[in-house]
Amino acid sequence: MRHAHGIQYALLGVVSTNPEGVHGYALKRQCERMLGNFWQLNFGEIYRVLDRLAEDGLIEQVAAEAETARKVYRITTKGRRSLDDFVLTPPTDAPRPMRQELAVKLLFAAPERLPDVLRMIDHQRRAYMEQLHLLGTQRRKVRRLPIDSFVTCLLIDGAELHVRSELAWLDDVAQKLKERFTS
Amino acid sequence: MIEFRNVTKVFGKDETAVRAVDDLSFVLPVGAFWALMGPSGSGKSSILHLIAGLTPPTSGAVLVEGVDVAKMTSAEAAALRRRRVGYVLQTFNLLPFLTAEENVGMPLVLDGIRQREVDERVREALAMVNMSHRAAHHPTHLSGGEQQRVAIARALVIRPAIILADEPTGNLDRAGGRAVMDLIQEVNERTQVTVLLVTHDPVFAACAQRVLRLVDGRLHQDMTLPDGGADADDVGLAG
Repeated sequence: MRHAHGIQYALLGVVSTNPEGVHGYALKRQCERMLGNFWQLNFGEIYRVLDRLAEDGLIEQVAAEAETARKVYRITTKGRRSLDDFVLTPPTDAPRPMRQELAVKLLFAAPERLPDVLRMIDHQRRAYMEQLHLLGTQRRKVRRLPIDSFVTCLLIDGAELHVRSELAWLDDVAQKLKERFTS
Repeated sequence: MIEFRNVTKVFGKDETAVRAVDDLSFVLPVGAFWALMGPSGSGKSSILHLIAGLTPPTSGAVLVEGVDVAKMTSAEAAALRRRRVGYVLQTFNLLPFLTAEENVGMPLVLDGIRQREVDERVREALAMVNMSHRAAHHPTHLSGGEQQRVAIARALVIRPAIILADEPTGNLDRAGGRAVMDLIQEVNERTQVTVLLVTHDPVFAACAQRVLRLVDGRLHQDMTLPDGGADADDVGLAG
């Protein structure tokens, strides 16, 4: 599943949960709640995707909101079929490559730069720990929202597992570098 | 508040000497939730033992609520553990011949608290860990996660100022571990009890406000984690 493709269907899916129709602002809020802001969306992107979905006949515009004149969209029969097909198609995401940037730095860092490389690993470790902290915060907050947080929690589980494996790898790299260059 | 002032702890002598904690200083404020991480043998558990007065420092001072633990008599150190410090271990250490509620009440019974108050506080502690319905069960009839919840209730029943948790999720599966961590976090927020957690698991360590990473008894990395007060909608899941 390509990223852009994912956003299209994320938005189509959220539109489908609003049989009376939904406008772009509410859609952004709902999308972030349901998907845990898994994709960072801005309004420009949302409206571009909505236009595209409308062009493809997957959603349609219903009467604009009276007070604000905001465009309100709902899913079409074709859109519902397309969403069903998408849901049943196996994902094609390739596994995310390991930290390429760190790998390149390791390849070209001279042994005497070991302390710098280890500091860089510490820096990266901190970034991952901060990310885990935010994921935990999000899990607890999402659970308190009056929505079904099942899928969001699955996404958080996945993100945590990913970060955990990266952290384990960093520990391993640090340990092996020390063994190799300080023995 | 817990304070370490240049604390060193050496086990053994001469060639067999092991420096478990090496010139460590920190101040853990009241109501804070910190985690200790690091490889096996990096001194994490020794730090908890020093705080609980189970072992004296070789040099430096460990202050718990302003009192130097090394200067306490053994009776005072025991009273500290019985009344101020709740200890939660990886192996739940519940007495198998006692029910959950009897296990939870044990520290109060040992402290000579009258039975009516024991009963009331045990009920309160079991309710806090959502184990009221299992009060009359023996540990062998409880799952690992349930046993750990009872062990946490036993730590809470003394209304501690500090909870020392040494790998509390180490014997649990992921779901059980997460439930225990949620509970510890909730107790910290609700009662403002100070928590010091030792764990190998970064996901659980990241529940803390600050993570100290130790290597060979020394502070290798001090990570203050971002305030979790942001709106859930604004927290990214990238990665």
